[in-house]
Parts: sequence; structure tokens; C-alpha cells
Amino acid sequence: MGQILKYILKNGLRDKLYIGLFIVLAISFAVSIFLGSTMMVEQNTSSVAFVLAISRTVVVVGMILFVCINVSRAFDNKEIEFILSKSISREQFILGYLGGFFIANLLILLPIFLVILSIYDINYLGLLFWFVSVLLENFIVISFALLSSLILKNSFSAILASLGFYAISRLMGMFVMGIDFNDNISAMKQGSIGFALKILSIIFPRIDLYSQTSWVVYGDWNKTVLFIILFQSIIYLPLLIFMSFHDFKKKQF
Amino acid sequence: MILKRNNFKDFIVRDFKLFFYIYSHKIFFWFFLVTFVLQIFFWKLTEKYRNSSDLVPPSPSARMLKAMSFGDNEILFRSLVLRFQNSGDIFAGFVSLKNYDYKRIYEWMTALDKLNQDSRLVPSLASYYFSLSQNKNHLNYVLQYLDEHSSRDIDKNWWWLFQATFIAKKDLQDLDKALYFANKLSQNTAKDAPIWTHQMPAFISNSKGDSCLAFKVIKNLIDESQSGKRQISVEEMNFMRHFINDILIKLKKQNFNPANC
Repeated sequence: MGQILKYILKNGLRDKLYIGLFIVLAISFAVSIFLGSTMMVEQNTSSVAFVLAISRTVVVVGMILFVCINVSRAFDNKEIEFILSKSISREQFILGYLGGFFIANLLILLPIFLVILSIYDINYLGLLFWFVSVLLENFIVISFALLSSLILKNSFSAILASLGFYAISRLMGMFVMGIDFNDNISAMKQGSIGFALKILSIIFPRIDLYSQTSWVVYGDWNKTVLFIILFQSIIYLPLLIFMSFHDFKKKQF
Repeated sequence: MILKRNNFKDFIVRDFKLFFYIYSHKIFFWFFLVTFVLQIFFWKLTEKYRNSSDLVPPSPSARMLKAMSFGDNEILFRSLVLRFQNSGDIFAGFVSLKNYDYKRIYEWMTALDKLNQDSRLVPSLASYYFSLSQNKNHLNYVLQYLDEHSSRDIDKNWWWLFQATFIAKKDLQDLDKALYFANKLSQNTAKDAPIWTHQMPAFISNSKGDSCLAFKVIKNLIDESQSGKRQISVEEMNFMRHFINDILIKLKKQNFNPANC
């Protein structure tokens, strides 16, 4: 399993993931500082908000692309068959891949955390919560990207599915709010949209609560939200991993 | 004739591919001409159509804000403030504030307040930028926003109430409105608020010519200081005594007994 982990990390180097993301992040830092400086007041606070939001999005999209392209290429090159021909179980294979992706993600996020910590005058505990929350958010998205790559095989479909999953999960706050709105929408059949939204809210995680910029800017985190994030991750991550186990176990090569 | 027609029909049915092969360039040439004419008609019909050039677009609804935020209100707030701050930038210079739709400005400010009530960005824009409109009627929208924003927490927002008082007195020249804001301002119990926030109703009343009310406000402050309820520095006390003496002289000239205030 350790070998797979190293292999994935080296894949990151081969695919120029680290250098590519660092260049994009450096540009986004510069753009954020520029945008922040154009504000009438609160220039620094605004620049921090832009940096956090842009870097979060860049890293999520970057990791989705990396995971989906990597797994699909492994299928195409018969790398998966080669690895499975060794004395390694399919569960170990999945865990090795996930571990590699998680560490790669941590390696990318850690410098962002340190740079923000050293440059800006912010709420430090808020930044720590933000960092852990972004890590958990990325772990969920990475696990889903791996699962969709295993199921769909085609990298393009897997990328679209993962981006869709992330967007819907981030919109889940509005969907949950929409369940209550439904009775006021006269054009809709009573309860039908609410029911559909309720089903969606059962399946998708509440990623809209993760990594709030206001934690870092104002330090106004809510303990309930932090607990929801923690328990949501504890439940949803294994769910995706077990689903991957199940799918990969049934796969025939 | 009939034979000829049948032959032609047979030819089309049986050798359609051959027909297409022989005449395709002509068919597509005619298609090209038809689409070209259509494009000319389309241009004629849409020639006068212009994109909406609202200086201030309508503010987003609460549901739209929730959807646009993707769960992170703070970044949406900062992005929208940036957009709001630069409204009126038509890429050929800035438009005069008197041409803005201030009803929409007010709606934007209240919508942005729903995303973040702690930031100084929106009240700053209202007080220092949008209050500079040459159309004095616009100031009522600015004052309405500042009133609503500050009333949520007067202790935290006393500065914006002072700005509202200042705008109402100096720019709108509506002393009744200025007194309304000054009275609200004087209710603050913030530790960082200077003593003049409590004296403000006296200054506005004095400007209005209501020396009696001005006298009463300052006298109350001095009484509070003497009873130990409020600590006031010696310099401030001297100023207030000087202010009261001035008012007493004014009242004396009017043959009015200050005890009746």
C-alpha cells in the first residue's frame, strides 16, 4: 500500500500538479490582493476573503482533475491490472490511492495555510478551523472523484460528475431552504419540489457549511456548524469509501 | 410528359445519392443565400435593440443570494460590494451620482446587509460616497439605510448615526431629521463613544434655535457628571459650562426663564 501511496505522489510530480497549482494559486493571490486593494475600506479583510475563496475553489477543481485523469489513465494503461496482479487486495488498492490523493492535497493546502498565517492579521483559530474544514471538504470531493472514476471509467464523464457533485453539495443550503419555501410557490404542485429537494438533501452532503470565510475574517464560527461538519465528514467519507470498495470488488478485468 | 415526370421521380427515388452528389454544391449555395438573407432580416429587426444599460442593476433576491453564495456568504458579500462600489462604471468614465437610481441603491444596501451586518463597507459607501449625490432627494434613501443599519445595534454603530446626523444637517439641511438622528445617537452606551455623541441633540437644537432643549440636554449631562453617573473630563465640563452660559445669555435676551425649560 505504501508503494501505491508513493506512486500517486510521484504521479503528482509527473503531471505537474504541484507546480501547476502553485502557479495558479500565486496568480490568484495576486488577483485577490489587487481586488482587495480596490475596496473603499477593509482592503486587507477583503483581500483575505478573496484569497481564501479563490484558493479553495482552485484546489478543489485541481484535485478533481488530478484524480479523474489519473484513475482513467491507470485503466487505459492497464496499470490497475498490473498492480492488482501483485499481492494486494482491492480494498488496499483503493485505500492506497485515496491516501496518496489525501497527502497530495495536504501538501498543496499546507503552504496556503502558512502563507495566509504569515501575511495577514486574522483570527488564527478561525484559520485553523477553515484549514481543517477545507481538508475535510477536499477529502470528500476526492473520494467522490475516485468513486466516479471507478464507475464511469471515462475521465470526462467522471470530471463532470465530480464537479456537479461539488456544485450541488455547495448549493445544498439553498435546497434545504427551498424545502420550506415550497408551500409559498403557487405554480408548483404542493410538496412535489420539496419532496425532490428532500431526497437530494438525503443523498448529498452539506458542503455549503464547510470552510466559511467569515470564520477567518470575523472569528464568528458556530459550534453547532463545526460539529455538523465533523460528523458529516465522519459519516460521508466512509460511505464513499465503502461504495468504492463495493464497486471495485465487482469489477472484472 | 407523364413518362418524363415518372422518369424524373424514379431518378430521384433510386438515385438520390447521385443527385445529391451532382447538385449538392448548388443546394448549399442556395442554402447559403437563404441564410444570408435571413441574417440581413435578423439584423434589420434587432438593429435598434440595445443591451440593458442600467447603471445600478436590480438587487438580487434573498433566494438568489443564497444560491449565489454556494454556502459562503462572506465571499459573495465582498464580491457584490466590489460590484456595487463600481456601479456606474460604464467603461468610458464614471457617471454622475445624480443619474443613479437611488431606490435600487437602497435595495442593494439592504440586500448586502443581509449577507454581512458587521462590515463597515456598505455604511462607508453610503456615508462617504453615495451621500455625495447632487440630487438632495437621494439623500433620504441613504439616511433610511443608515437608520436601519445603525438601529440594529446603536452601541456598535454610533459612528454611522453621527454620519446620518451630519448628512441630514449639512447636506439635506433638514434639522428635524438631524435632531431625530442626534437623539438616537445620544442613546448609545458604547464605551468608545465620545461625550459629544451625547451632546449632539444640544448642538442640533441650538442650530434649530431651540435654546431651551439645548440647555436641557447639556444640563442633564452636567447633572449626570455631578451625581457620578457619568465621568466627564475637566475640559469637556468647561466647554459645557461655556455652552450653557452662552445659551443663558441668549435666553435672557429673549426674557425667558431657563427654569421653565
